[in-house]
Amino acid sequence: MTWIRRNLFRSVWDGILSIVFGAIAVYVLWTLFEFVFITGRWEIIEVNLLLLLVGRFPEDQLWLVGTSIVALAFWISAASSGSPKSLDSQPSLSARILDSVQRFGLLSALGVLLILLAGGITPLYWGLAIIGGILAGLGLGKTRRSIAARAKIPNLLWHAAIIAVPITFIALTLSLSTLDSWGGFLINFYIAIISIVLSFPLGVLLALGRRSTLPIVRVLATTYIELIRGAPLFVLLLLAGVALEFFVPTELAPGPIFRAVTVFTLFTAAYVAEIVRGGLQSVTQGQTEAGKALGLGTSKITFLITLPQALRNVIPAQIGQFISLFKDTTLAGAALSVLEVLNVGTAITKQDDFLGQGYIYESLAFVGLLFWVGSYVMSRESQRLEKRLGVGQR
Amino acid sequence: MNNTVFTDATKMSGGRSSKDAIVTLENVDKHFKEFQALKKVNFQVGKQEVVVVIGPSGSGKSTLIRCINRLEEHDGGRIVVDGTELTMDIRNIQAIRRETGMVFQSFNLFPHLSVLTNVAMGPRQVRGMSKVKAEELAMELLERVQIPEQASKYPSQLSGGQQQRVAIARALAMKPKVMLFDEPTSALDPEMINEVLDVIKELAHDGMTMIVVTHEMNFAREVADRVVFMADGEIVEVGTPKELFDHPKEERTKKFLSQIL
Repeated sequence: MTWIRRNLFRSVWDGILSIVFGAIAVYVLWTLFEFVFITGRWEIIEVNLLLLLVGRFPEDQLWLVGTSIVALAFWISAASSGSPKSLDSQPSLSARILDSVQRFGLLSALGVLLILLAGGITPLYWGLAIIGGILAGLGLGKTRRSIAARAKIPNLLWHAAIIAVPITFIALTLSLSTLDSWGGFLINFYIAIISIVLSFPLGVLLALGRRSTLPIVRVLATTYIELIRGAPLFVLLLLAGVALEFFVPTELAPGPIFRAVTVFTLFTAAYVAEIVRGGLQSVTQGQTEAGKALGLGTSKITFLITLPQALRNVIPAQIGQFISLFKDTTLAGAALSVLEVLNVGTAITKQDDFLGQGYIYESLAFVGLLFWVGSYVMSRESQRLEKRLGVGQR
Repeated sequence: MNNTVFTDATKMSGGRSSKDAIVTLENVDKHFKEFQALKKVNFQVGKQEVVVVIGPSGSGKSTLIRCINRLEEHDGGRIVVDGTELTMDIRNIQAIRRETGMVFQSFNLFPHLSVLTNVAMGPRQVRGMSKVKAEELAMELLERVQIPEQASKYPSQLSGGQQQRVAIARALAMKPKVMLFDEPTSALDPEMINEVLDVIKELAHDGMTMIVVTHEMNFAREVADRVVFMADGEIVEVGTPKELFDHPKEERTKKFLSQIL
């Protein structure tokens, strides 16, 4: 009661605001509830679930996708629990449970929802397999931490070994199926991950290039960044659909997914470059001077001193850019006819059973949910990373 | 070593022949755009000599020692450190930086690295020492500046005085022939100044060649072999602490001393 009075009704004006916004909130929540549980016709999602998630991926090879996801879950949990940099204070059990719920609750809820929508027993097995992968990863991470003192496995070797697991399965999946048969949310995810992995180093190089003392390098980097940032992403994607033919013989012309990855990589790199440049500028001159005074060369000063600090300072902006890239992958559907999830989502409303009955709401809501959960997980993990690396501490 | 002998010789001659000199400045000029920060500075520092540079702010003290390891580029005259002349040649610059350690007013420790890694950075990355050897050396030096227990912490977890002692250890790790101190206590809270000055004094006793820019006059009196008074980019007066503080010859020196003492 006291809390309500102090926070919501401190003055007449506060009271009015609280009531008005409270009413709006209740109305919105009720509409949402009504849509989700009463008026929503979710059979369109149930029928087309596989199409939305993986597109026309050959069904007899679906186990490859499943195994890759299990392998990814294994790797992520092994990598994060095996970190030798344990926190100073061990948080209480309840705090740890709360933390886990915040981190994985939404993702797990989505998993359960997908299993329910899919129906049948096979999806349930895959769900259990993913949990198994996570537990195996956590177990391995823990053992490593406890034996780390005795058996000294170099950090690099350890990370190389565990990242080899998901990479093997993803490579296997890629080699056994043709990439152009991929579709649905799987292809959004794939395009986003590959573009993130490629655009990050490219962006860092561009940022360093823009600060280079060599005029040619500086001009080239600056021109590239300003050109790319000056063009709408959608235009670049459309261009990639036609322009590559000018440079590559038609028979060698790559598929739409390759084009999409290329554009997203080049586009995001320009933005990453500006973010990293901002980070480099935030590192004080004294750091460079201290490096020089020790006798370090220019490249060692950059890679050992200024760049690590710069990258740490820009984690939030960096992750924001990657979230934006993740969501922008939906543009590849409209521009390059990639069979990604939004493209599928609009196409299924034109099936005979659903045509002309306004199923677009349900379809878009489901697509939106997938992206929202993905973005939420990314932003949450970025906050954890910030804390672990001590952003804001000098 | 023969610290006293050297000191006495310095005091008597008020300078020394270039044979014994480890740092030599001849007619050094430095401009920042229109402003002339150093005007024809001539100056020598002998092996194991402790020189303290004093003067009002803006007099060119910091610029002087920052020119010695090329954090600033002089635009006239010659600077020779341990037989190597400071030219545009990056190899010469690197050679001189390896032989000179520098301690900054604002510490400039690397905030993303542990204290131990900070100190081991020079020997490991510049001298090519192995990680184990470099960290052993770093630990020895942290003991010498009396904070071995802070080795695994990060700079932001240390007090200003502790940070500055780590910075001294980091510079010493390169086994420099000359140490340059640029107002090492100016950014410190008063109660931490002495712990840093004590470390510097000990270094002086061990025979380290040092050039110290400072406002700590008692420290200058106690440790310096020679005191240099600078004003307006020029060296106005050089002498033993006794000569300079008790019997200043120049008008500008007298005025400065009367303002601060």
